[in-house]
Amino acid sequence: MKSALFWLMGAVLSWPLFSFIDRRRYRPPREQRISMKLKPGQFVVEPEFVLFQTVNGPVAVSRTCTHLGCRINYLEDEKIFLCPCHQSRFTSKGRYISGPARKDLVTFRVSPMEDGQGVTVYLPA
Amino acid sequence: MKSITYGQLGTVCLLLSIITGFVVGYQYEVASPFVSTTAIEATLPFGWFWRSLHFWTSQAFVLLLVLHIVDAWNGIKSRNVQRQAKIHWTLISLSIPLAVFALFSGYVLRFDGTGQAAGAIAEHLLLAIPLAGNGLNRLFMAISTEGLNRLYLVHILAGAACWLAGTWYHTKTVRVNSVVFCAATVFFCLFCLFIRAPIDLPQGHLHLIHGPWFFLGIQELLRNFDPLAVGIVFPAVPVVTVAILPWVKKREIKIAYLVLLLWTFAYSVVTLEGILRSG
Repeated sequence: MKSALFWLMGAVLSWPLFSFIDRRRYRPPREQRISMKLKPGQFVVEPEFVLFQTVNGPVAVSRTCTHLGCRINYLEDEKIFLCPCHQSRFTSKGRYISGPARKDLVTFRVSPMEDGQGVTVYLPA
Repeated sequence: MKSITYGQLGTVCLLLSIITGFVVGYQYEVASPFVSTTAIEATLPFGWFWRSLHFWTSQAFVLLLVLHIVDAWNGIKSRNVQRQAKIHWTLISLSIPLAVFALFSGYVLRFDGTGQAAGAIAEHLLLAIPLAGNGLNRLFMAISTEGLNRLYLVHILAGAACWLAGTWYHTKTVRVNSVVFCAATVFFCLFCLFIRAPIDLPQGHLHLIHGPWFFLGIQELLRNFDPLAVGIVFPAVPVVTVAILPWVKKREIKIAYLVLLLWTFAYSVVTLEGILRSG
C-alpha cells in the first residue's frame, strides 16, 4: 500500500515536473551586422557563419555541420568547408562534397544595411 | 591494514573529484564557460592545480570503477547469489554510464574546441533516439537551446548520484581508510604538479578534433555508421551485458563473456584508429 502510494505520488508529480523542465525559453531570431564593405572574393568568418561576397551578392553559409552539429571551418587555400569531427567537406557555397554529412549546409538570409557600408545577417531562432 | 581494493580507491578518487569539483565550481561561470575555465587555468591562484586535480581524480574514478566491477564479478561468479543481490548488481552496474556521463559532461563544460564538438555530437546522438530522444535531450543536454545550464546541473547531479549509489545504496557506509585517502591525495597532488588537465582553443583545430579518449572509438564509428546504432546502441551493449550477468544461466555465461570480449576488442581497435588518425 505504501509502495503504491509512493509510485502514485511520483506519477502525479512527474507531469508538472516535466512540463516545467521541457518549457523552452523564447529566443527571438537574431540579426548580426557586418559593418564592412567586402569586395567579390572576400569573406568574413564569424562563429556561426562565413559571409562571402560573390559577384551575385553576399552569401552567409552556416558553420554548423549537417551531420552531428560540429562547428566547421573554412579552409581558404582549398576553398572548402571542413568538419573537424568527421571530415565532411562542403564547397564555399555550402554544397555537400564528401563525408558522413550527406546534406548541404544551411545559408542565412542577408540584406544590405541602410547606409550601404555592410550587411545584416538574419540568424533563425 | 586490510588489502586495498579497487572499490576503496575508487571511492577515494570520487570523493577527491567531488571536493575539487566544488572548489573549481566557485570560479566557473556557466554563462562564459571557456573564458572562466581559461581564467581558472591561467590567472587564478592555484586554479590549474585544482582543475588538474578534479580532472585526473575523475578519470581515475571511472577506470577504478570498471576495475572494481571486474574484480567484484570474479568474486561472486562462482557463488549462488540471491535475487536481491542480483537486483543490486544490475542497479549498481548502471553507475558505469552515470560515471562516464559525469566525465563526458566535464569535457563539454570547459567548452574549448573539443568540448564544443563533444557537446554538439552528444546532443545529436540523444536526439537520434526514437520517441524518448527529445525528452532526454531536454533533461540532460539541450546545449543548442539552453546553453550549458542543464549540462552543468546534470554534471553535478551525476557526481552526487555516483556518490549515493556507491555509498548509501552499495556499501551502506563510507569505507574510506584515512591512510589510503591521504596516500591517494598526496599521489594525485604530485601527479598534478607535473601533468596538467588539457584545454585547447575553441577554434584550435582546423582539420581534426580528437574527442575525449573514451569517446574516440565512437567518433571513429560515426564516420561510417548510423548515429543511433553506434552512438547509443553500441555503447549500451557492454553496460547491458554486465547488468544482466548474474541473471544469465551458468551454461550460457560464456556467450556473455564472448560479447564483452569482442566488444572490448572491437572498441580498442577503433579507438586506436582514432588515436592514429591525423586528418
